[in-house]
Amino acid sequence: MANHVAAEATPPAACLNQLKKQVLDAGLCVACGACVGLCPHIIFYDGRVAAPDDCGLSQGRCLDLCPQAPEPAQESKRRALHAQAGQTPAPPLGPHAGIWQARAASPDLAGRAQYGGVASALLALALEEGLIGEAVVTRGGQRGAPQGALVRDRAGVLAAAGSIYAAGGSLLALNQALAQETGPKLGLVGLPCQVLAAAAMKAHPSYPAAARRLGLVIGLFCTWNLPARGLRALLAAEGLQGPVKKYDIPPPPAQVFLVETEKETREIPLAKVREHTLAGCALCPDLTAELADVSIGAAEGRPGWNTLIARSAQGESLVKSALERGLLILETPPAESLDHLRAAAAAKRARAAQAWKER
Amino acid sequence: MADLSKLMPGETVLLQGNEALARGALEAGVAFCAAYPGNPSSEILESLADSAAGAGIYAEWSVNEKVALESAAAAAYTGLRAMASMKQNGVNVAQDFICNLTISGSGPGGLVLITCDDPSGISSTNEQDARFIARLADLPLLEPATPAEAMAMIKFAFELSEEIQNLVVLRSLSRLSHTRAGIVPGPLPQTRPKPYWDPKVNHATMPVVPLHAKMHEKLARAGRLMAAAGFNSYEGPQKPELLIIASGSSVLYAAEALQLLKAEDKAGILKLGATWPLPEELILDHLAKCGRVLFAEEVDPFLENEIKALYAQNAGRLGAKAFFGKATGHLAAIGENTPGRLAAAMARILGLEWRTVDEAYAKRSAELLAKLVPPREFGFCPGCPHRASYWAIKQTLAVDGRQGLVSGDIGCYTLGVLPTGFRRVNSVHCMGSGLGISNGLGQLGRFGFDQPVVSVVGDSTFYHSALPALVNARWNQSDYVLCVLDNSATAMTGFQPHPGTGRTATGQPGKQVAVESVCQALGLPYAIVDPYDLAATQEALYDALQQGGGVRVLIFRRLCALVQGRQGGHPYRMRVDAEACRGENCGCNRFCSRVFRCPGLTFDQAGGAAVIDEVTCVGCGVCAQICPAGAILAEPRKEAAA
Ligand SMILES: Cc1cc2nc3c(=O)[nH]c(=O)nc-3n(C[C@H](O)[C@H](O)[C@H](O)COP(=O)(O)OP(=O)(O)OC[C@H]3O[C@@H](n4cnc5c(N)ncnc54)[C@H](O)[C@@H]3O)c2cc1C
Ligand code: SF4
Ligand code: SF4
Ligand code: SF4
Ligand code: SF4
Repeated sequence: MANHVAAEATPPAACLNQLKKQVLDAGLCVACGACVGLCPHIIFYDGRVAAPDDCGLSQGRCLDLCPQAPEPAQESKRRALHAQAGQTPAPPLGPHAGIWQARAASPDLAGRAQYGGVASALLALALEEGLIGEAVVTRGGQRGAPQGALVRDRAGVLAAAGSIYAAGGSLLALNQALAQETGPKLGLVGLPCQVLAAAAMKAHPSYPAAARRLGLVIGLFCTWNLPARGLRALLAAEGLQGPVKKYDIPPPPAQVFLVETEKETREIPLAKVREHTLAGCALCPDLTAELADVSIGAAEGRPGWNTLIARSAQGESLVKSALERGLLILETPPAESLDHLRAAAAAKRARAAQAWKER
Repeated sequence: MADLSKLMPGETVLLQGNEALARGALEAGVAFCAAYPGNPSSEILESLADSAAGAGIYAEWSVNEKVALESAAAAAYTGLRAMASMKQNGVNVAQDFICNLTISGSGPGGLVLITCDDPSGISSTNEQDARFIARLADLPLLEPATPAEAMAMIKFAFELSEEIQNLVVLRSLSRLSHTRAGIVPGPLPQTRPKPYWDPKVNHATMPVVPLHAKMHEKLARAGRLMAAAGFNSYEGPQKPELLIIASGSSVLYAAEALQLLKAEDKAGILKLGATWPLPEELILDHLAKCGRVLFAEEVDPFLENEIKALYAQNAGRLGAKAFFGKATGHLAAIGENTPGRLAAAMARILGLEWRTVDEAYAKRSAELLAKLVPPREFGFCPGCPHRASYWAIKQTLAVDGRQGLVSGDIGCYTLGVLPTGFRRVNSVHCMGSGLGISNGLGQLGRFGFDQPVVSVVGDSTFYHSALPALVNARWNQSDYVLCVLDNSATAMTGFQPHPGTGRTATGQPGKQVAVESVCQALGLPYAIVDPYDLAATQEALYDALQQGGGVRVLIFRRLCALVQGRQGGHPYRMRVDAEACRGENCGCNRFCSRVFRCPGLTFDQAGGAAVIDEVTCVGCGVCAQICPAGAILAEPRKEAAA
């Protein structure tokens, strides 16, 4: 019997090995889930992505779909994907047909949604109208870590309302759904990294199911995210126990992360939170999910309201239909808020560009 | 094994070397036999246990070799003949006791230790030569060459032990233990002394120095008795050109080599069966007659070095001699001897031609053979719970992501170092040492060591030698996860029972000592999982890894696949849905046959899909859980017990 175990030889340039080397081992993974669920080699558990075995192929999809892969560079891959959708990048906010401050009219979203409930309202409408038949959302799962879920109706959408500030690998659920070559159109609610990956899926020549079935993409604004274990460690360090009802990051100058449990609401200084954030997020240039059909974030200084950006024709008509049915209340945003949003988006772009340069 | 007490005296029977040893012990009137299983020694106690009722003896599988020998010594103190058998590694386990027993002496009953060594490590983690113990502890050493001689020697060993009141070591080898030969059994004794230990007699190691002197005297006396016992002999010309000094199986190899070389008239073989203390007179006699000497023994140059030292004492009288063997490179210092190896050495020394097979021919026949024999790797059996266990460990440590380490131990699951266990074992040494390694790693957090530590140990090894390390870890709060791979069998060595099974060597019910009861007693947090349920096992291990703070135990409980097979088999009939199978495409690339590697799964290149090898697959259903396409289907097999 062997006394020494020889180090495993690495087969040349297999795509999974590249993903491991360039993204996973480099600490760039943001657990979007795009590479997970395609095959058995990449696994996701409790917010972490891992690839314990070699896959041996060099023409696979995982590396191509990864939003954090260093090649091609962020700008050029985004430009190509915008072009494929017939749009131009239009920095700093991305292509848009309309920007509003908005909230859902429906009372069943109040208290459940993160802010104005626009994301949930639009998704539920798309399902009701048959624009899509199923949708991938993110909701709390085992150990409180977020995970992807496939929903088919308003009840499913409502169950996922609210933001969990941790990476849930929810594109895993999208890949699993897309393993069926045919089926109803699929919707997705995702963070900017996930929206970029979804666009890459639709454009990938070896992923025809994605091109055929991926219908509506609702993007969320995002500045950074936490790994599931990091969020748990943060809560533990704060002595917070029991299920969390709501997380929030109130707009500047608050500089706190709010955690609301059954018993209390705790303000954790952002400086403490940043010790746990995903390193890969520093390299992400996208605040407003520029490749989505519609993008939704907070509305500055207006609790209970969202900022809503319609980008594609499909996104625009969904917003229109919601307005016509009285499901959304739309208002023109104050110029000052828009300026702040543009500045924030430009700042995230610049930070990321600098971070890539420094690597 | 067969009940050896039923053999008819005087009628030739075909017996394995180990059975010959067992029968010899019965004929010598052994009353108490203890052992710990380990290849190539296991059949000795197995056949004694199966003969126990017929012969009226006591036979037990002890929890380890040290306990076995201590128990046997106790019986010897009461005047009963007693023995302990073990493999070479077991001698190390018993060594501490042996080195003190030789001072205290062994009492009125004969006491014999049989060590079965495993040159080339055919079923061992090393190929250690256990004869060192004879020199270390001043014990008489007997090295039989054939089963018949083994039988004769063990009878002599008991007598010798009683004569000198010390332990006698008999050393067998894999080839001798497992060869079969015609044996003529003798009669079994009809009476046995009543055990009694006179309370006025002490067996202790004090006073050390006088008892140490007595130990030397005992060995010297043993030497005289052994010289007269007829186990050493010479065959060959009066004045040979080459003297071959051989022991054990190498005696036969040397004779065969001489035949092959047709050099029987040139060289003679001095066969040594009673090897320690050296039969000095006999050896010096023969050295005087020949200028060149070759040593044939396995594995270490034990006789070679000792005889060269003896020669040095007498060199003035004997004149110059040339010695050949392991020191000169004429024979390999590692691995088994073979007649071929010995013939090559003899030919080189004697300047004879020795033609081995033509190289081109050898290569061609090896290639042809390789074509005929299906490729097979050293691996876990189909349906083996260890494959599932290592799968769960590999997947979980990967998602845990802190570069966790796995400390291995001795048993079937040692194969975790190989691809069959996904190379998920980082260290293996001897029985129980995995927990010691983990215990050390588990204290390094204070220095900034942040890799989680998993220790795997089989159920039998758990009782054998893991307990002290576990108590130590509990006491000193070492931080690691212990996975007891409990397949409820000592599978590696042939399914001997152990404390966890609750059965004893003779098949009688004993008191079961369950792993969880040990955990409870130690106050250790533990959980029981079924490794066949991959998701649940991974979840339990993941949670245990995240917990930290002292030892946490997971008992991976699933009966050995072979035992399940004997008890009615596994529940499923498996098949692959070739339509659903993703084959070599992105999305799988033969995950089941290439990565999971159960021998029950193969890949049909022509069909581009995996197939179940119905002959090999036992139907455990585990592979269905790892297929990404749900293409491996498990259908309940009607006739099976679930
Ligand atoms: C990690 C994270 C960081 C964010 N950072 C910002 C920011 O910097 N600025 C800003 O304006 N807005 C940010 N948001 C978006 C904001 O929290 C709201 O999701 C958004 O405004 C929509 O609000 P709503 O009331 O319409 O949402 P709801 O109607 O409540 O719907 C919320 C949707 O979010 C999805 N979701 C929840 N958790 C996750 C997750 N971990 N990953 C992916 N999807 C999830 C659910 O599937 C659900 O469909 C962030 C969201 C997340 C999850
Ligand atoms: S960032 Fe997304 S696609 Fe890239 S490795 Fe992580 S989970 Fe996979
Ligand atoms: S900052 Fe970018 S990479 Fe990080 S979670 Fe948000 S969208 Fe994804
Ligand atoms: S794992 Fe499943 S899909 Fe892949 S080769 Fe095996 S049976 Fe086919
Ligand atoms: S069911 Fe699968 S894992 Fe079990 S023995 Fe058969 S092929 Fe191997």
